[in-house]
Amino acid sequence: MSDYQYDNETVKGFIISSIFWGVVGILVGLWISIQMWAPSWNIPPYFTFGRLRVVHTNGLAFGLGIGAIFGICYYITMRLTKRPLLFPKLARFHLYLFNAAIALAALSLFAGMNQSLEYAELEWPLDVGVVILWVIFAVNIFGTIIKRKEEQMYISLWFIIATVITVAVLYIVNNLSIPAGLFKSYHLFAGVNSANVEWWYGHNAVGFIFTTPILAMFYYFLPKSTGIPIYSHRLSIIAFWSLVFAYLWTGAHHLIYTPLPDWIQTLAIVFTIFLIAPSWGSVVNGFYTVGTDWSKMQTNYLTKFFILGITFYGLQTIQGPTQGLRVVSQLIHYTDWVPGHVHMGTMGWVTMTVAASIYYIIPRIYDTEIYSEKIANTHFYLVLIGQLIFSITMWITGIQQGALWKAVNPDGSLKYTFMETLVRNYPFWKMRTVGGVIFTIGMLFFIYNIFMTIRKGKSLAAAKA
Amino acid sequence: MGEEIDNIENFEAKETSKKIPIGWQLLFWGLILWGIYYFVSYTPAISGWSQGKAYEESIGRGEAVPRP
Ligand code: HEM
Ligand code: HEM
Repeated sequence: MSDYQYDNETVKGFIISSIFWGVVGILVGLWISIQMWAPSWNIPPYFTFGRLRVVHTNGLAFGLGIGAIFGICYYITMRLTKRPLLFPKLARFHLYLFNAAIALAALSLFAGMNQSLEYAELEWPLDVGVVILWVIFAVNIFGTIIKRKEEQMYISLWFIIATVITVAVLYIVNNLSIPAGLFKSYHLFAGVNSANVEWWYGHNAVGFIFTTPILAMFYYFLPKSTGIPIYSHRLSIIAFWSLVFAYLWTGAHHLIYTPLPDWIQTLAIVFTIFLIAPSWGSVVNGFYTVGTDWSKMQTNYLTKFFILGITFYGLQTIQGPTQGLRVVSQLIHYTDWVPGHVHMGTMGWVTMTVAASIYYIIPRIYDTEIYSEKIANTHFYLVLIGQLIFSITMWITGIQQGALWKAVNPDGSLKYTFMETLVRNYPFWKMRTVGGVIFTIGMLFFIYNIFMTIRKGKSLAAAKA
Repeated sequence: MGEEIDNIENFEAKETSKKIPIGWQLLFWGLILWGIYYFVSYTPAISGWSQGKAYEESIGRGEAVPRP
């Protein structure tokens, strides 16, 4: 046993909070997926698609995603620096403030307050709260790293540092706005500039919330759970710096064929395609690592979570760059293809890797074994099937939609009315809900397994005492 | 299970720590070259290409489309 006093309580708190907001966000996701084919599921004014959709995206990106990131980054940082957090009390306050902020955020979104910038919907008073949260996180992470007891910095710490710095810059710049009262504000940037800043932010939210911290987890928990060290340290470092450098130039690929100047779009496409290489640096490294002993796929139940996760990350980082090309964008942009892309990443990579990390952490800090590997395997296959159904149905209907929108008669008029193209989505939207239900059941297995593990750990501790 | 202290040596393989697969290197440099080609070809100030012109061409002679 260690003589280090790790702050496990705060880590636990963040993990439980993240699971809680995850449940809320996923149930709302199911709800909006039903609303798309059964409009009567809209209950105005609070529970209409427009309001619930932002609760879904914010609840999962910020509640589930950031909550897990706070807790797990604290966990990783303490262990890689071989010391407790520099400010454990501040970390506890961080946890309470986080939950208060997410709860208020959800309420404000239900109430219809919205800056009308995707992933930056929260109005300015909440933005101030988010910045305070982030500063607390930064102070604790940087303080702990500066005062570290292990000289060498493992790659996960680099990914965590990049996350902390970049999210701060992105969030502050894109949320600069002029308040017009307590609950309303206007973006400091106007027109095309507003769009450009917004998607610089939006894409890098994907880069520094759904990518770098998740890679920090991947690089930490893959060697921990398999016992196999990462194949190439140098490759991970090169991939890190080129990823961080290239990401920040790519935002304009969300604005292909818009009034944004052509050269900005072209520059963004160049960096977007280049991103395949740094992304695949981590994919290759992961595969070469487990490649030294594939039997771990059978003997360690977590290996397959990480390998499938990094595989979806690999697919996502080929599909994503391809979407940035003008010829592809003109077919799939504005269609359901994009939610297909989104959920391969969020369900197949982010949620998969976060869940596996939690499976690793919870038994360790409760000093016990996982309640049931069998349930974990059931969870794995259900979320895998659910996600595949979601993504594949959306890709099919997205291509169909794009093709129908573009079809013209010989005289140049459109072949199909918007309605004709819309109704063809219904069967696919229904199938997506089925995929979502399967994914949700899988997540319930996960949550049950985690809570039973905690119960087991607590009763063991009570028996020992 | 208990908590073991992290040892950096368990995270980084020794013999292969400086290896970079050749396929990946090709990808890396290849994409940079492609980027240069693409930037030159699709930047209006360099090649004369523009989205507006490409659109005009894409609708062919444009007889069926009303001209502004
Ligand atoms: C049961 C599981 C889920 C269901 C049924 C679901 C459903 C949906 C639906 C219907 C949309 C709206 C698509 C549209 O407007 O056309 C959406 C968007 C979105 N969801 Fe989910 N979702 C689920 C899980 C998740 C998870 C786990 C995450 C993140 C960790 C997530 C993140 C997002 C994001 C970021 C968007 C916005 C996409 C965009 O603007 O293109 N979802 N989801
Ligand atoms: C190399 C990496 C990636 C690139 C270059 C990339 C590229 C793109 C592009 C071009 C779009 C816009 C599609 C359109 O609207 O026409 C997009 C959308 C999106 N991608 Fe990716 N992607 C990458 C990785 C990821 C990953 C790992 C995730 C993780 C979940 C992700 C999540 C999203 C989300 C949430 C959107 C929807 C944004 C919106 O609301 O419109 N992407 N991506």
